[in-house]
Amino acid sequence: MKSKTYQSLSFLKIFFIIVLLFSSYSMVYGQEEDVMEDAVVSISFSEEDDTKIIKAMATDQEGLPIEELDLYFYVQRTFSLLPIGDTFNTTNENGIVEVEFPHDLPADEEGNVEIIVKIFESDLYNDLTLEVVKNWGIATPMTEAGEKRSLWAAAANAPITLVLLISGMILVIWYINCYIIYILYKISKIKPLINQV
Amino acid sequence: MKKIDISKQKFESPRERDLLRHLISTSWKYKLWIVLLLIINSIGMYAYYRQVRFGLVVTAMRDYTSWGIYISNFVFFVAISLVGSLFSSILKLNKNEWSRPLIRISEIIAVSAIICAAVIIIVDMGRPDRFFNVIKYLRIQSPIIWDVIIISTYLVISILLLYISILPDIALCRDRLTEIPNWKKKLYRIAAINWSNHPEQIQKLKKVSKILAISVLPVAFAIHTVTSWLFATTWRPGWDSTNLGPYFVSGAFMAGAAVIIFAMYIVRKELKLKSYVTDMHFEKMGRLLVLLSLVYLYFNINEYLGPAFKMVGVEGEHISELFVGNYAAMYWFVQLGGLVIPIFLLMFRPFRKPLPLFIISLFVIMGAWFKRFLIVIPSLQHPYLPIQGVDESYLHYYPTWEEWAITTSSFTSLLLMITILIKLFPLIPVQKDVIDPETDD
Repeated sequence: MKSKTYQSLSFLKIFFIIVLLFSSYSMVYGQEEDVMEDAVVSISFSEEDDTKIIKAMATDQEGLPIEELDLYFYVQRTFSLLPIGDTFNTTNENGIVEVEFPHDLPADEEGNVEIIVKIFESDLYNDLTLEVVKNWGIATPMTEAGEKRSLWAAAANAPITLVLLISGMILVIWYINCYIIYILYKISKIKPLINQV
Repeated sequence: MKKIDISKQKFESPRERDLLRHLISTSWKYKLWIVLLLIINSIGMYAYYRQVRFGLVVTAMRDYTSWGIYISNFVFFVAISLVGSLFSSILKLNKNEWSRPLIRISEIIAVSAIICAAVIIIVDMGRPDRFFNVIKYLRIQSPIIWDVIIISTYLVISILLLYISILPDIALCRDRLTEIPNWKKKLYRIAAINWSNHPEQIQKLKKVSKILAISVLPVAFAIHTVTSWLFATTWRPGWDSTNLGPYFVSGAFMAGAAVIIFAMYIVRKELKLKSYVTDMHFEKMGRLLVLLSLVYLYFNINEYLGPAFKMVGVEGEHISELFVGNYAAMYWFVQLGGLVIPIFLLMFRPFRKPLPLFIISLFVIMGAWFKRFLIVIPSLQHPYLPIQGVDESYLHYYPTWEEWAITTSSFTSLLLMITILIKLFPLIPVQKDVIDPETDD
């Protein structure tokens, strides 16, 4: 009798633990659901004298400005992203942050650069990446050096003398190899002498 | 299935019996040796599985030491592969008759070593599938591409050299050996390509033998010179040298000669070939090793004297590291134990007897392997443009067990290939007069 009561108490204990676990899980889940939301970031550009300013405005889903949100500004370079602005660029009470665009960044032939604004690892808002192409860089025409045949050029622009030299050497040595394989083939076609059979 | 009775095998001469008997009988010692090699290989395979599964992070290679023992091992394998050309070309063209019985073993070592060198490069790449990118995005300006091309070319030439030296005897095996399994009979039949010692066949074989003996020489010099250029075209202390090509080639010939002495001693003992690989061969090889070591010593002096005299910047740091720093013990073991002392000892006839020469060659081989380690690793740890705030682990290089296991298994793979080839084909020409140079036109 005593053991039966003990058993039902244990079951009750396990039941409560399970209920507690589920409720705490849904609490955490609910909390995430309630707190993390998508921010809306709009970007505008302005130029005064020689200064180029990127202005980003962050609002929530209801259109209210988000204060004290860190935004990260980058410019896409060949292999990686170049950070611009300060280490932390935080929105003010109007949800606005301004960053000065460097005046000496090389761009493509038309002067276009890709500006990237990110929300990254915020406590309240989901990560977000915005990419805008702006004609603010220094137009850099493809110089002849890029096209010129050189040791450091792309495969298609290898120095012609090097291509000829290496191809020539390879052809000569592989011609000899193939010739030897041909002679071995000829050897295999020679019939044994009658007294050798 | 036909029962094989070795005692029924008939030979036409004692020479045939001596040189072919190892092809028909398999000792327990041989089987045990193969099992041992396979066990070590499986450990290496497991380590390689881990490397492919988790990436090169399982190795100790980091941003500074991006070439570790894999690459030093690769350079060592390329070096010893040069021995094939030493025997099949240099000694043959100079009519050194005594070297004739050693041609096949040298070619077997050359073929096996160059295959291992090619495989170790793919191991070093981390992702083996990326090897095809080397072909797909081929840049003829890159010394790495030159190396890929020259290694494949040298491999084909070495296989051809081995094959033409062995062809008449493969036909003899086909005709003579009756008490062997069917697969072996089939192998000899196919590989013999209808060879019948026909005068026209002999004449053609002599011709290709001569062509190959000449054409292998520039390729052999190129293979190791190009390997040296992988380093010389990279801007690092110790590599930024015009001396590197001949330095590598001379070191390779020395290491190759030592490997041949090592192999000669084992083969002569295990296959009972004392009457064919005689003390005279050891004497000659001893002299050859002294000559090659002296040439290498000369290039070593050239390589270190200049930078050590000036001791400028990072070059000076590199030299200090080798002479009195972390690598001093290894450096002085290599220079003294693997070069200077062997040269001194080998000048005396008693040290050119088989056993002393065998032991000395072992030291030369060890010295040669560690020498490649010293060429590759300390240079990488002293870049001209150091990284700011570098991670502590970049400054040292202690290979992990995976690297040691893979490197060891590359050696056992080399030995496995050599052992199998020796077991399949006669090592010393049975019909010694078939392509004798004295009868050349």
